[in-house]
Amino acid sequence: MHIPDGLMDPAVWITGWLIALVLVGIALYRIGGKLDERTIPLMAVLAAGIFVAQMLNFPIGGGTTGHLIGAALATILLGPWAAMLIVTVILVIQAMVFGDGGLTALGLNILNMAIIAPMVTWGALKLIGERNRSVGVPVAAWASVFIAATACAAELALSYSLSGGLYGITAALAFPSMMGFHLLIGIGEAIITSGVVLFLVKVSPEMLEIHKSIGQKTTEA
Amino acid sequence: MIMEKKYIFATAGILVAFAVGLVGFFLVSNGVPDGLDKAMEDNGIAESEPVYTAPLTYGEDYASSLVMGVVGFFATLVLMLGILKLRRSVRSSR
Repeated sequence: MHIPDGLMDPAVWITGWLIALVLVGIALYRIGGKLDERTIPLMAVLAAGIFVAQMLNFPIGGGTTGHLIGAALATILLGPWAAMLIVTVILVIQAMVFGDGGLTALGLNILNMAIIAPMVTWGALKLIGERNRSVGVPVAAWASVFIAATACAAELALSYSLSGGLYGITAALAFPSMMGFHLLIGIGEAIITSGVVLFLVKVSPEMLEIHKSIGQKTTEA
Repeated sequence: MIMEKKYIFATAGILVAFAVGLVGFFLVSNGVPDGLDKAMEDNGIAESEPVYTAPLTYGEDYASSLVMGVVGFFATLVLMLGILKLRRSVRSSR
């Protein structure tokens, strides 16, 4: 779901950049007070692991594939603010080093995958209840992909509308396409995220408690 | 920062899993569009020239993709460590 250059109207991608910069700045501020020798390497290894996982597309049928976003897993382990930074760093490396996703569209890619996806995960977990992990984890992971894709469809439709058809895709086509494909891709995200969480419950259950100590309000400012 | 042993084991485990997963990728998914690419394709939209040309690609075959995955893994690791250590040093200097 990496938006390339030239697909979105400039007003849409510039707005995406502005929103992304503000929210990533807030995330950087919010995690600052709780960074320590335990959380820094964990965040770095998790980010690197999600990077390689994103390279492994899986088939969903109909000549289409999907890949893990990883925002749900990062949010479950480290909380939404840390997840925003982790996925942002991955997207920056993908765009700047490997040309995956456009530079102009990087703000929108950050908005969809590094901001909306973690916020949806966090919201879904809060709604379902963190104790009900067996339902909360897969539902939150699925919703993170589906809502991020719906946001992408809205950006495509807005681009089409603002540019008079020069950019984007008409709403009547963008929403069913993006939501249909990502309804299935989200199931892959849910299966992979649940698998990793189940594995961690067995081998390192304390890792599922770290998020409680990251991103809490600090008095440093 | 010297990483604890458990993170070195985790790194090794992730890279081994990636090397195995990459076999499956090349068997069933290589060259098949993802959700957004397919939506663009179905609506007759071709990808335009990028405004910036990245120095690397994900690779065309198993060996080059494996190398690029390892390069990307460590690039992400180093950038993340750098940002977090910088953020912590800003906090400490206050």
